[in-house]
Amino acid sequence: MLSNSIWRFRLSVFPGGVISIGLLLLAFLVFYTLFLNSDYESFTSSLITNRTIGLIKFTIFQALLSTIISIIIGTILAWSLAHQSSFRGRDYLVALLSSSLVLPTLIVVFGIISILGNNGWVNRALLHFFDYSFENSIYGLGGILIAHVYLNASFATRSLLHIFESIPQERYKLAKSLNFSTFKRFLLVEYPAIKLSLKSISSTIFLLCFTSFAIVLTLGGSPAYNTLEVAIYEAVRLDFDIPLALKLALIQLCITMVLVFLSANFKIGNSNIKTQDRKILWKEPKKLQIFQIFTIFVFTLFFVLPLISIFVDGLSADFRKILSDSLFIKSFFTSLFIATISGIITVIFALLISDTRRNFNLSHRIKKSKTTNFFNILIAFSGNIYLAIPSLILGLSFFLLSQKFQAPLTVWAIGAVLCANVLMSLPFALSIIYPPMQRIAQHYDKLSFSLNLTGARRWLYCEWPYLKSSIVYVFTLSFCLSLGDLGVIALFGSNEITTLPWYLYQLMGSYQTKDGAGVAMILLVLTLSIFILLPKVFKNASST
Amino acid sequence: MLQVHNLTYRYDETIYDFSLHVEKNEIVGITGESGSGKSTLLDLIAGFLTPLSGNISFKNEDITLLNTEHRPITILFQKYNTFEHLSVIKNVLLGIGTSLKVKKQDLDEAKQILKEVGLEGFENKIASSLSGGQSQRVALARSLIRKKPILLLDEPFTGLDLQTRIKMLNLVKKISKKRGLYTIMVTHDINDCELIANRVYNVKNGKLCLV
Repeated sequence: MLSNSIWRFRLSVFPGGVISIGLLLLAFLVFYTLFLNSDYESFTSSLITNRTIGLIKFTIFQALLSTIISIIIGTILAWSLAHQSSFRGRDYLVALLSSSLVLPTLIVVFGIISILGNNGWVNRALLHFFDYSFENSIYGLGGILIAHVYLNASFATRSLLHIFESIPQERYKLAKSLNFSTFKRFLLVEYPAIKLSLKSISSTIFLLCFTSFAIVLTLGGSPAYNTLEVAIYEAVRLDFDIPLALKLALIQLCITMVLVFLSANFKIGNSNIKTQDRKILWKEPKKLQIFQIFTIFVFTLFFVLPLISIFVDGLSADFRKILSDSLFIKSFFTSLFIATISGIITVIFALLISDTRRNFNLSHRIKKSKTTNFFNILIAFSGNIYLAIPSLILGLSFFLLSQKFQAPLTVWAIGAVLCANVLMSLPFALSIIYPPMQRIAQHYDKLSFSLNLTGARRWLYCEWPYLKSSIVYVFTLSFCLSLGDLGVIALFGSNEITTLPWYLYQLMGSYQTKDGAGVAMILLVLTLSIFILLPKVFKNASST
Repeated sequence: MLQVHNLTYRYDETIYDFSLHVEKNEIVGITGESGSGKSTLLDLIAGFLTPLSGNISFKNEDITLLNTEHRPITILFQKYNTFEHLSVIKNVLLGIGTSLKVKKQDLDEAKQILKEVGLEGFENKIASSLSGGQSQRVALARSLIRKKPILLLDEPFTGLDLQTRIKMLNLVKKISKKRGLYTIMVTHDINDCELIANRVYNVKNGKLCLV
């Protein structure tokens, strides 16, 4: 029966295949544009300068340090949360860790400055109670690391917590009955379970920190703490030195390509899968319990305080002034428009690419061969090219194209921002949508063919009911990621083309801190409410 | 004698109340529908769950409040009985202790027990390369090396093919008798019980009924 459908499967490879080829062509276009615009002789002669070596060194150094600290904190916190599964507020903390994935980086920066800045809560409290304040500025390596760890340790925690909770109860029971110590339990039961994911989470975090832009731009402070990405931005926006920007972009592109290739794992951990809500039947010794509770308490403060500070500072803003500012209104609606379109495109791309991939992965659909394996890898790679081509480099190539082809800059800007947002969301979208799609095919292919469920009917009865929550979640995720992104827009941003993060960055740059706090609060409320409410509203609507 | 006396436990709306006894050299079978509470009984005897009331005694000593690791029990689960990344011999030696140093005497004993369960020559194989039946033999060997008198079997041979299952059941019967064990086997298949159990209980409405 299935053999009759093989041709249909072969045909259904095309929509996702075309999208994948399109994405790979886009990557090629980026390369080609950068090469085409660079002067080969001056490029090779001035490739290795002290400045570029310094930039590469610092970019790798901060990414490495951020990754190590994030992984250590993420592992300890996830382990503590897995073993302390019944305290009040745990669900909220886990939800907060999930939402940190979509928190606009500028909001995090704003919150961290509010807490740890020269005039922040900590310094003010120290001054008030002890007549002492820290002289060290938050700007520099310290600030970059804190912000990176804030975003990535929560990502690592969420991903690892899911794995800790997925360890079969039998493993813990066996370890308990064999009288394992806590260390031995970690070594023989927990570490083997998280080992593989640690590699993929670490490589993802490293790449995210390596290509981090908004955090380094706002907290770097001086050229000594510039990364390649920020140096590209400064070369384009501040120095108007396009050849330098091209050189740096090509260097970064080569390094990220090598890193993606070396990591050999294009998966991004799904940090938002629902937890198992499973209690580990192992009562920890008192001292260990105290350590775990202390760890949870300290890192809860670390994650929550910056967000609280945004609310507290934001409440004192003059909202009448902010809401009547035409630039704010323009930014607000542009952001909503771009985020909605990005969300829709991401969902469509993720569905079609996943459909194509499952055809290649399931031997009852298309017989496995070296060719199908090759296509499978290619398609998987196409969905993850964002890791190899950071948005700023994508933006730079669009910027160069806009100089060459005479279309309104607004069109190029919106095109570039949309492209970057979709590429940024796709790795997460695929990791959410692909597993259930593969499962549906495994479970229901035979049944749906026996019932002659094909095309729209199959989608309606067989796919949509099982995919709808993932689809809504992917849309929400992409929407929120797009809403808070300050990447490509930094190259194109002006009074003509502006988004909320760009507007906020302008306010921060011109020291309008009060208005900035108000806008940060609006952006935070908007992001969190959509991220939390949209899936819930949809769930309620579909259950009634 | 292992005696379980009015051991109660509450899960959602169901209240369990278990009573049974197991003599030396005896194999007691527990059957029941899925979700009837068969495994809950083993979890209570093993100390993974704390009962609301009642007690468990072994040779007239109350063991109800002892931690799992201090109870005279050893358990075999249906799945995840071995640490896949370790060799067969290391999996067995974990039954003696978790120290990294291994005494020659322990090593010899582990080899002897592996021979007893039919895994001679498999010592250095990695557990992940074993078949389902072989993995269960490793787990059984580890249970035996622990020299604990009470053997709890939680559907240990479900999923194995019929031939392997019968072999494993007979092996349990043989070893149980040879070593004078007190064995409780939970299974959803009455045929397993008929093959090796001296007595069979059925879990119904939270209680054990002699079949």
